[in-house]
Amino acid sequence: MPRSPLALFVLLAGCDTPTASEEPPFLRGAQPDYSAPAPVLRRLTYSQYVHSIDDLFGTGLVLPDELEPDTRAAGLYAVGASLTSISALGVDRYESVAYTIAEQVLTDPTRRAAIVGCVPVSPADADCAREVLNALGERVWRRPLSDGELDVLVSVTTTAGMTLGDFDLGLSYGLAALLQSPYFLFRVELGEVDPAGGHRYSGWEMASRLSYFLWDGPPDDALLLAAESGALLTDAGLEAEVDRMLQDERTRRGLRAFFGDMLHLDELDALTKDPSLFVNMSSELGPAAREQTLQDLDAIVLEDDVDFRTFLTSTDTHIDRTLAALYDVPAPVREGFGLTTLPISGGRRGFLGQASFLALQAHATSTSVTLRGLYLREVLLCQELPSPPAGLNTSIPEANAERPTMRDRVAQHLEDPSCAGCHQLMDPIGLGFEHFDGVGRWRDTENGHPIDPAGSFDGDEFVDAWGLGQVVADHGSFAPCVSDTLLRSALGRTLADEELELAEWHADGLHQEGYRLRWLFRDIVMGPAFRTTAVAP
Amino acid sequence: MSRRGVGPRRPLAAAVVPSRRGFMRGMLQGSAIFVGLPLFQRALNGNGTALACGGVIPKRFGVFFWGNGNRPERWIPATDGDSWELSEELAPLVNVKSKVSVVTGLSVKVPNLLPHTSGAAGLLSGMTPLSADGVESFAGPTIDQIIAAQVGGDTLFPSLQTAASDCSGESWNGVNSRNPPETDPYALYERLFGPTFRLPGEEGLVDPTLGLRRSVLDSVMGDIATLQGRLGATDKARLDQHLTGVRELEERLARLEEDPPSLESCARPPAEPEASYPDIEGRPQISARSRIVSDMLAMALACDQTRVFGHYVTDPVANPLFPGATAGHHNLTHDEGGDQPEVHAITVQIVAELAYLLERLDAVPEADGTLLDNCCVLGCSEVGLGQIHSIDDVPIVVAGGLCGTLRTGIHHRSYTGDNSAMLMLSILRGMDILAPSFGADDAYTEDGLSEIEV
Repeated sequence: MPRSPLALFVLLAGCDTPTASEEPPFLRGAQPDYSAPAPVLRRLTYSQYVHSIDDLFGTGLVLPDELEPDTRAAGLYAVGASLTSISALGVDRYESVAYTIAEQVLTDPTRRAAIVGCVPVSPADADCAREVLNALGERVWRRPLSDGELDVLVSVTTTAGMTLGDFDLGLSYGLAALLQSPYFLFRVELGEVDPAGGHRYSGWEMASRLSYFLWDGPPDDALLLAAESGALLTDAGLEAEVDRMLQDERTRRGLRAFFGDMLHLDELDALTKDPSLFVNMSSELGPAAREQTLQDLDAIVLEDDVDFRTFLTSTDTHIDRTLAALYDVPAPVREGFGLTTLPISGGRRGFLGQASFLALQAHATSTSVTLRGLYLREVLLCQELPSPPAGLNTSIPEANAERPTMRDRVAQHLEDPSCAGCHQLMDPIGLGFEHFDGVGRWRDTENGHPIDPAGSFDGDEFVDAWGLGQVVADHGSFAPCVSDTLLRSALGRTLADEELELAEWHADGLHQEGYRLRWLFRDIVMGPAFRTTAVAP
Repeated sequence: MSRRGVGPRRPLAAAVVPSRRGFMRGMLQGSAIFVGLPLFQRALNGNGTALACGGVIPKRFGVFFWGNGNRPERWIPATDGDSWELSEELAPLVNVKSKVSVVTGLSVKVPNLLPHTSGAAGLLSGMTPLSADGVESFAGPTIDQIIAAQVGGDTLFPSLQTAASDCSGESWNGVNSRNPPETDPYALYERLFGPTFRLPGEEGLVDPTLGLRRSVLDSVMGDIATLQGRLGATDKARLDQHLTGVRELEERLARLEEDPPSLESCARPPAEPEASYPDIEGRPQISARSRIVSDMLAMALACDQTRVFGHYVTDPVANPLFPGATAGHHNLTHDEGGDQPEVHAITVQIVAELAYLLERLDAVPEADGTLLDNCCVLGCSEVGLGQIHSIDDVPIVVAGGLCGTLRTGIHHRSYTGDNSAMLMLSILRGMDILAPSFGADDAYTEDGLSEIEV
């Protein structure tokens, strides 16, 4: 979300000096007036669906790799989920997986016992069916079921039980109905009249909003109790619940979901590289790179709760043997991931030294200075760049003796006025990473010629990728961009112009609190955009 | 005689489900109303084949799409009209040349503001795509869905979307409403030829669980309808799409209980797909996937499981490593110098996949001819010269005569940059859909492309 130039100026002024001791502590102003837009109807993303099933029925069920495909809008699956619907293919897949889940749950005595507390007296025992569906339905739909809704589900269940002569087989149809319902597949958070004035999300709706934001999964029983008691509608009750939830292991899942979405880490599954050019390429590389990035974020944001901007500058990182080979450092552990400190001599630190960035923002057979520069601007700084105009010849000259390096080859892009307007914003930054090849391995030279990674980024000079990481970390748009993106993810939509002041207020709070992102999760939950809404149109 | 399974037959559906046609009209915002022609009009098209074709033998339409365009100077045949020779890039079509018309020189008339997306949306929907807040979407339905809304009601699948790579496809019902393809060949096989498949002459399924599954879908449709009552117009329309999908599935389950259509050439495809098609040396198996899917599509059409398909080789901007290429496809279209021999070679590979599909369709006997004769397959990409994102002179192949309603065996070249929407209108009319127009704004047309019509 681009900010107004004035707002950006204010933030830049606030963030310019990284050493806090030299200036008085920054304090954000009062919460601005806020008027919420209409609510949006969000579909569960793939990961939210899977986490819901994990939490409802226990982990370990066999689930398909794909359901309704998620779509990124404004950079986030979380936003695409409030714009798209369920296609015919998605309907088929949701039906098929519902029966798969029901069968796995009801044929596993432990899982079955967790949801079936009664002993059916007949294949069509309506009382037992009602008891099971009433309790389970509240967890699956994240709200109590009406009598009418329960009647339909019990009827489906008992008809099936009678037809097939088996209570559990019958129940599988009731379960399948719960799981295919829009009340499960979509998050129905439409708001209610607030007796104090305006509209707010109801207690049940707040429970879903909290759990999918913080945990990327459904409410647990304690949260549902808090919803029922009305506690989530008071400041004190909400604070108590968010603090409890942030202590829960499931917050790791929420953090991973958010950063995986924001940083496009899912695309690492489809990482395509020519293995004859990149000996480190393997099918394990992409997933390993994602794990490195997410473990580092987990440590910074949740374990250590420190300035999250160190994500771009820290030499501490979590790697496995695959990545150790790529980065040419000793593997810290034999199996899995372990903490290591990268040597300064390696020239590599922070996220911008990881394959999650270097390999993904590159081509199958080469680096891409444009993709790397574009990603920094769009994803890390939330700046929008225009699409290339039609009718331009975009080819770059091939490498030869006169133009051995990428810097030589893109020189024309950067001089031709029809290209330079945009490419000046991307390529000089991307050239800072040219010591890292298309998969992220260090190279001293390109085609036998020295690489010059120096440049400047919005007025700040850097000599190489090591310095570039600091420049981006200190960039006045970086922390606000992460803050805004987290807010968009929490709300499942883009921000209206009238909300930019509130977005800045949250970003100011992040600054005030020393850029501890964990604090921002709580601040967003307690803020008005998360709790209030307009009437559905 | 078909036997019914146990359970109520759609007890709630009639009460809560608007007609599919009504839904499509809503998606089109009333701007155009498509009405199927009554049978007697279809019978009167003057070439004598119509009674068999379009009657007992259905007409079919399919899109064969690939991303990133072609090299126009090596694509466009040297001469036009009836007497022409295949160009270098069209050479793989040699075995079906007489059943193919190549149309060159057509322009997509929407403003080319979103590279690749403008071309795809303009060509297939005739409408300028939407773009706001980083969200891009087609603004209206693509031609395959306009056709499916008319002819899809009689088959197991109103339309099928398939793919030869992991892609999103270019089939849309309207804003933010995309029909993603089944990208896994094995999953596609299970859908089409799995345990529920019945050959002609076999009886419908007798399985009580079909009725039970329908009763579950009825409860789902009831929930959707109730929820819609609480939503604003946009979200209501989103749930309309969900509802349509549920209703289609419900109807498919009901149809499985009926005897399958008796079509002489319907059979299981010759081979089952592999469980997976992993990349080989970093290169996706596009050809293998396209071919096994083509085998399935031919039989899905021959068995009348669907009459509309979209087969997406790659998406616009897709960047896979094709065999022999030194960089990804999209990458090459922009960065390869000279006359781009690698881009050319990839285009030839893609046209070879189109040829494979057409040959499979042509190998299926149907009435006096072949399945291909009763199809229209629109082979196309979203740009012409990908290097400059050109949407002038986009590559178009129109294959199959659609029961004698479309001319085949010609190269028609427009020297005036005619509107590509004209061809779409001709196809709609060939499908017996009485469409007054196709496209919007600068792409709007009320005229078909007469040179391609019989």
